[in-house]
Amino acid sequence: MTDVNLVPLLPATQVLLTALVVLLLDLFYQEGEKGLLAWVSLLGLALCAGETLFLWGSQESAFGDAVMLDNFALFFTQIFLGAAALTILSSVHYIRQAEIHEGEFYALVLFATTGMILMAAAKDLIVFFLALETMSIAVYILTGIWRASGRSSEAAMKYFLMGAFATGFLLYGIALIYGATGSTHLNEISNYLIESPEDWPPYLIGGALLLLVGFAFKVGAVPFHFWVPDVYEGAPTPVTGFMSVAVKAAAFAAWARILMHQLAPLDSDWAFPLWVLAIITMTLGNLLAISQASVKRMLAYSSIAHAGYLLVALVVGEEWGGLPLLFYLLTYAFMAFGAFAVITALAETEQSPEDYRDFSGLGFKHPFLGMAMTLFMLSLAGFPPLAGFAGKFYVFRSAVLSGHLALAIIGVLNSLLSVIYYLRVIVAMYMEEGGAEGKSFRQAPYLYIAIGLAALGTLYLGILPARALEWSRVAFLSLD
Amino acid sequence: MTVSTAVFYLVAAITIGSAMIVAFSRNIIYSAFSLLGTFAGVAGIYIFLGADFVAAVQVLIYVGGILVLVLFAVMLTHRITDVEITNRAAGRIPALIVVGVLVYLLAQTVRETPWAKAKEIVYAATTAKIGDLFLDTYLLPFELASLVLLAALIGAVVISRKEIKE
Repeated sequence: MTDVNLVPLLPATQVLLTALVVLLLDLFYQEGEKGLLAWVSLLGLALCAGETLFLWGSQESAFGDAVMLDNFALFFTQIFLGAAALTILSSVHYIRQAEIHEGEFYALVLFATTGMILMAAAKDLIVFFLALETMSIAVYILTGIWRASGRSSEAAMKYFLMGAFATGFLLYGIALIYGATGSTHLNEISNYLIESPEDWPPYLIGGALLLLVGFAFKVGAVPFHFWVPDVYEGAPTPVTGFMSVAVKAAAFAAWARILMHQLAPLDSDWAFPLWVLAIITMTLGNLLAISQASVKRMLAYSSIAHAGYLLVALVVGEEWGGLPLLFYLLTYAFMAFGAFAVITALAETEQSPEDYRDFSGLGFKHPFLGMAMTLFMLSLAGFPPLAGFAGKFYVFRSAVLSGHLALAIIGVLNSLLSVIYYLRVIVAMYMEEGGAEGKSFRQAPYLYIAIGLAALGTLYLGILPARALEWSRVAFLSLD
Repeated sequence: MTVSTAVFYLVAAITIGSAMIVAFSRNIIYSAFSLLGTFAGVAGIYIFLGADFVAAVQVLIYVGGILVLVLFAVMLTHRITDVEITNRAAGRIPALIVVGVLVYLLAQTVRETPWAKAKEIVYAATTAKIGDLFLDTYLLPFELASLVLLAALIGAVVISRKEIKE
């Protein structure tokens, strides 16, 4: 009989319950009162955050080891909770103006968060797959939830088709691995790999590579990136922020636990493809970002480039790359979310302002938005003493220390290249005039709170990274 | 060659043959109908493997449900029979390269793997065993599947309902 221990499921269940409560309450509230649902969602997330603090340090598994609540899972749970909370804060006004149904919106954000939390905790490939689908389905719908916008529907359709295609790769990979090892359970798979070294059937390698392709799709690494710009551009901006931060973190969390840690004995087989993937992802992401006319699209390509930096940490491997990977995801969460939140603040209902021209003079008209955007851009470009610099520093340091000098050099060059398009936004904001005239800036206090929090996080992680680094280290070491 | 081997090759041929029609037919209605052969053939292969429950589910879900849905979608879509716009292949040369590489890799894998032969396939009912596993080893995935369905259900409602303008 399998052991039924519900503690490892506590954070996921808490978020799921909140989603269901929001859905039910939605039925009882009138149109004008639905703003309350945001606070119910935030309360649920806050309770869950409290639970993660309370559970920190636990090492519990349940359901025949199908899920594992360790510090690694808790670390990522906290990132997902933070991203979900900021997304909800920043969309309160946006969705009212875009006439999106509030109850369903918050419920879907919470559903996606539940899926992510389970993804980070999954120790079984079937559980991982189901969690991934829960997250993906919720995010497909969120992408297309702005029914009045044609671009939003188009983006949702593209995302869905591409996502289903990627799911096919993942599932085929899982099936092949099961065929070779006789188990979907990660511990048993890694036992098999350790006990019978070099005696693996060729299709086991094939399965691992297919899994790699599936993950590369989900994080938007370069040969599999073509859906990213259209989807990021078409989705409602708060959802884009959520995707670029939380969905990406969830995919990397599963990648780190499954491929980097549990299937580590196979890494000689994918080291080279991953190395190539990292280099072309960084380079192409940055080169294409330069030529974009829309800031939202530029940020989409920049998120591809950042996926490339994260891939560097994966190439470096468990021993050196674990801590930088987690820390980078944490820093990236604040700055990328903040950048998208500033675009949310600029957005009008029908046509979003995304041209560089729309940012002209912003620095003088809206000093707070201008300063915050400057901070996020500088941080994304990797200027000290901001979070982006600290994140990149540890990733490239790990590459050098582990002997991947070429990778580190290409990464640093790419990071220099990225300064071009990030600075262009700042130049538009402070050195050009007009443009943003007549654009309606939303009176949205909660959105401004979200931007402020992201800015504080960016500054804090840049100036005082020690605690977060220790936190990432403890989290990665808890993988068994 | 025994009868069962002959039947196996027949089923395999039907599966692959109709899959090829699905891929190569220029008319999407023919493609949709030949999916029937592919799905039914796969069900046959499951029976050969002694997986009676999976075979039955394959017939119920894929042949009975998904195929009918596909046919409805194809038949009800306006002007989809217009051959010129429906099923054209684009980018043949890159596709050929990718397919060539994949076929080579698959063939190599099949050739190089030391396939273990099952001594004897036991044709016994698997349903009870699957039921036990769902409530024991795979309890959590079983429950999570309902979560996926719930998310999909809510999503379908959100995406497809009529917007009421006041």
